[in-house]
Amino acid sequence: MPLTADALDELRALLGPEGVLSEPAALFTYDADAMTLERVAPDVVALPRSTDEVAAVMLWARAHGLPVTPRGAGTGLAGGCTCETGGVSLSLNRMDRVLRVDHERLFAWVQPGLVNLWLSQQLAPAGLYFAPDPASQQVSTIGGNVSTNAGGPHCLKYGVTLNHVLGVTVVLEDGTSVTLGGEACDAPDFDLASVVIGSEGTTAVVTAVCVRLLPVPEDVQTMLFDFESVEDACHTVSRVIAEGIVPAAMEIMDRHTVGLVEAWLQMGLPTDAAALLLIEVDGPAVSLPAQVERIGAIAREWRARSRRVAKDAAERALLWKGRKSAFGAYGRTASGFYIMDGVVPRTKLAEALATIYRLAEARGLEAGNVFHAGDGNLHPHVLFDAKSERQQQDALEVSHEILRMCIRFGGTISGEHGVGIEKRPMMAELFGADDLAVMERVRAAFDPARRLNPGKILPGGAGCGEAHAHGRAPAQLGGTAFRPDAEGPWI
Amino acid sequence: MDLTPARHAISGLVPREVWVPASAEAVAEAVRECAAARETLAPWGGGVALPHERAPDRCERALVLGALDAMVSYEPDDFTLTAQCGVTIAELRETLRARGQELPLEAPGEERATLGGVLAANASGARRLRFGAPRDRILGARFVTGDGVLARTGGRVVKNVAGHAVHRLLVGSEGALGVFVEASLKLLPLPPSRAALTHGADDALLGDAARWSAFPRRECAVLTVLGPRAAPSYTVPGAPFTIFTGFEDDAARVADGVRFCEGALGASRARRDGHDVPPLWRELAQLEEREGTRLTFTSAHRTPDAIAFLAGHAVAETLVFHAAHGRLHLWPAPQDAPALLALAASHGFTPIAARGVALSPRPSSGATRALRVRISDALDPARVFALGDRWRER
Repeated sequence: MPLTADALDELRALLGPEGVLSEPAALFTYDADAMTLERVAPDVVALPRSTDEVAAVMLWARAHGLPVTPRGAGTGLAGGCTCETGGVSLSLNRMDRVLRVDHERLFAWVQPGLVNLWLSQQLAPAGLYFAPDPASQQVSTIGGNVSTNAGGPHCLKYGVTLNHVLGVTVVLEDGTSVTLGGEACDAPDFDLASVVIGSEGTTAVVTAVCVRLLPVPEDVQTMLFDFESVEDACHTVSRVIAEGIVPAAMEIMDRHTVGLVEAWLQMGLPTDAAALLLIEVDGPAVSLPAQVERIGAIAREWRARSRRVAKDAAERALLWKGRKSAFGAYGRTASGFYIMDGVVPRTKLAEALATIYRLAEARGLEAGNVFHAGDGNLHPHVLFDAKSERQQQDALEVSHEILRMCIRFGGTISGEHGVGIEKRPMMAELFGADDLAVMERVRAAFDPARRLNPGKILPGGAGCGEAHAHGRAPAQLGGTAFRPDAEGPWI
Repeated sequence: MDLTPARHAISGLVPREVWVPASAEAVAEAVRECAAARETLAPWGGGVALPHERAPDRCERALVLGALDAMVSYEPDDFTLTAQCGVTIAELRETLRARGQELPLEAPGEERATLGGVLAANASGARRLRFGAPRDRILGARFVTGDGVLARTGGRVVKNVAGHAVHRLLVGSEGALGVFVEASLKLLPLPPSRAALTHGADDALLGDAARWSAFPRRECAVLTVLGPRAAPSYTVPGAPFTIFTGFEDDAARVADGVRFCEGALGASRARRDGHDVPPLWRELAQLEEREGTRLTFTSAHRTPDAIAFLAGHAVAETLVFHAAHGRLHLWPAPQDAPALLALAASHGFTPIAARGVALSPRPSSGATRALRVRISDALDPARVFALGDRWRER
């Protein structure tokens, strides 16, 4: 039911006229995140500027019986901020300030709409940075990172968002504001922040985040190896870690992906390689030469054909460019593709990849893989012709089979993108009814009225795949324009 | 294993019965039975800390988890381990050390302390900042709620965002929300090199903020201050304070850290290397179990000068301050505790635990408490967990 003019006026009185969007054309831009197959426009978009304004929106929504779905930059890949049942899209984008930096005690309070990369850019002159670096960090927000417990290529060494958040200020469904955790480790309370983190906006609205800061590593070395078999690349990854070396990042691109990236960018990548393995180590300059040498030796033992070590920042950026361009390369090649976000134990990587290729081939589809090998987080892409209903259905089924394989191998259905709408049906395959019921209890304790992002994560609602098709490019998303270009930043 | 009720008393409150369930399902059954009888129970690990905690109003049964001591799966190449929660920390350590790995945390009484107890206490030790607390290392768990439901959240792989992380909520909840029966943990390789330095410090050095200011960015594994009587066998004789710094990394980086530290503090009075270092960290953890009235604080402080305000105070004699992560333990005379709480608070120290004095350190603001009570009611609707009531207090 459309909101009445009076109700909208009430909201405008709370947020100012520029804090409310209600025109259909405006609502359309908030109808999905980067999972564009599922689109539902909200009834209204609220753009608060403070914790108090968020609280006011919550009370207003309560009075009008509307669900509220918090939203960051809209780069999510699982439909987490899609307003599935309408209601309020609560955009935190205007709350984008760094509130306070403590350079001695190495923490900062920031607002949730602050873009991840902006924080590290602001801290750079002080030699500090925020470690979680989801590939979307140029556009995704700290609040969004908190909501999905985002990872990124460097979480192998540094951990995920959870490990870098000391506390959060949140607004609950009833409009009350509380701070969970704080600037000190291990507050004398239940660790409620650790449940809010990763809850995809279903427990509370995060309005401020206290993040841990790290000193910028003194030096970085980036290497690229190519292998004649994916298995050898995976064995190299395992061996490096088994020797006690924890690189900052270990990323693999398979032959299919390398071919697409090279066809696009002509970077001189070896298209006959079965896999490219990018390894980055960072830390004090005194430590790195020995690590680079040892990693090189391990790669040679596993038959790496060549090694390229970036000589400077420009070459490092070039090596990463290939990795980061995978998404754009897929989009350029196929009219549609599914991205998955499964995790398997690292030791099962080679077997998992073989299974993925087999599953796709059995339906005449192509599958590519580009993934965080160090922590077993796979991002298989199944390509399809968006004009073919049958191919799309086949691709969807293959993607579900791949996630089932992850479960069978002892892994999970999401390493960093979240469950949202997309993986909700799979939750019942990963967990038992008792497990899900206990999760629901905790969620209900935060949000007794089930007003916050209702229906997400826990099964029960309609599901669909995480798909991308031409003509539904992310340029339309959430008021934040970005292009699926060479830096395509999403995975 | 002494299973007499008297050995399972919490500050003198003796349970009527001691139960030792042999399986996860039996834990769930025991909890259901207790709830049906409208009685209360306390999950019991190694009995290291619990006997000294404030007694709850009632506790009819001790639920000893010691029989659940199996390593469920250890995958060295994946750096993950799943174990039942009655396994001791010492046993875990030996299992992991044999494969060049560790769970980087120290708990007092590790020969008895169990995985479940450490999780419930979120115990971490001196290396907490660098390597994280149990909340950072837990990947998933099986646990029993207060109405006897055996549930599992999280998983066994190192990266996982599927579902609500109830297992993380149970970490540090001190037996108020559920009974851990099995947990999966993320491990680390043993560092190739370790060094621990000992320095004496007088009041002036301790309070010299400029001298300490570069330490947080060096990411020491340990930066701990002891009072002169905290541990007479290894504090520096005659020094008002003893400083322990620890470096754990590859050899080049450790050497670099040692150079930095000695540059800042002068030549060390003692140095340990390699295998000799971890026992020192365990001894530091053990200091927490010193008898008497104890106040434990957390803070955002990262350097030793934060406790300069205690110099000359009687309580400085036995203090333990893990400066790297701002954790302070004090053993005051009981009558001095209230004044000390106020003094510490004025210097940014928040109490998180107390023994021997009546103190409820939980934040008591209305909304925070209301949320805490709703969480307690959600996971323990029948109030079967004896240690849950303190979380509901005003």
